[in-house]
Amino acid sequence: MSRIFGFTIVIATLFIIPFVSLSFASETPGEYIDRKAEIWNLFFRMMTVAFVVGGVIAGTMVWQVWRFRESNPKAKPTPYEEKDEL
Amino acid sequence: MAHSNWPEWIYVGVVIALLCYVGAEAWNIENIVDHVPEDAEVIKVTAQQWFWSFEHEDGTKEVGELHLKKDHAYKFEIESKDVNHNFNIHEYVVLLDAVPGQINTVWFSPNEAGEFDIQCREYCGLIHYNMRATLIVEDVK
Repeated sequence: MSRIFGFTIVIATLFIIPFVSLSFASETPGEYIDRKAEIWNLFFRMMTVAFVVGGVIAGTMVWQVWRFRESNPKAKPTPYEEKDEL
Repeated sequence: MAHSNWPEWIYVGVVIALLCYVGAEAWNIENIVDHVPEDAEVIKVTAQQWFWSFEHEDGTKEVGELHLKKDHAYKFEIESKDVNHNFNIHEYVVLLDAVPGQINTVWFSPNEAGEFDIQCREYCGLIHYNMRATLIVEDVK
């Protein structure tokens, strides 16, 4: 599995990514843009994604700590604890 | 013990979708930003310790000051004569390395008249902090 993954990465780097980049490279001249607006808007969109992901991960960790604490009434002993192996 | 793993697959799917969105969006904007208009005037920018010099297409040279017209496109060809520098016009989000023996290009179109700072953003020696120039955008009609 890891060999296939490695092989795919190498092939993608050597052939697929340059091919796709070339295919999308347009021959037509560019248009006037407000560079500042484009770049800052991209930044804000990326930050929205980053903060949502950060919130979900942090929330999941807080929930796990709360849910699986020893004193939670819903906590079940692990198989090791049941057999008094700990 | 067998257990349901559908939440894991949803998680993996969401992560892949987000990565695709982030990559595609960044790539798209990068393409738009890199795409130079046909009528862009080429300005040769030379960095050296510790000042900036500019050469317009008609051969006009400027040191420490750069006069441009509002709402025109300019393509900078940036090179360095000594060490690595970085050409930055903060107000217009122009930022590119000046590397000896290499010409790097970036384009922009000033849409506001006024005076703006040009500065070096790569530590280049003792007087790096004062390696500045002024961009003067004129409203010529």
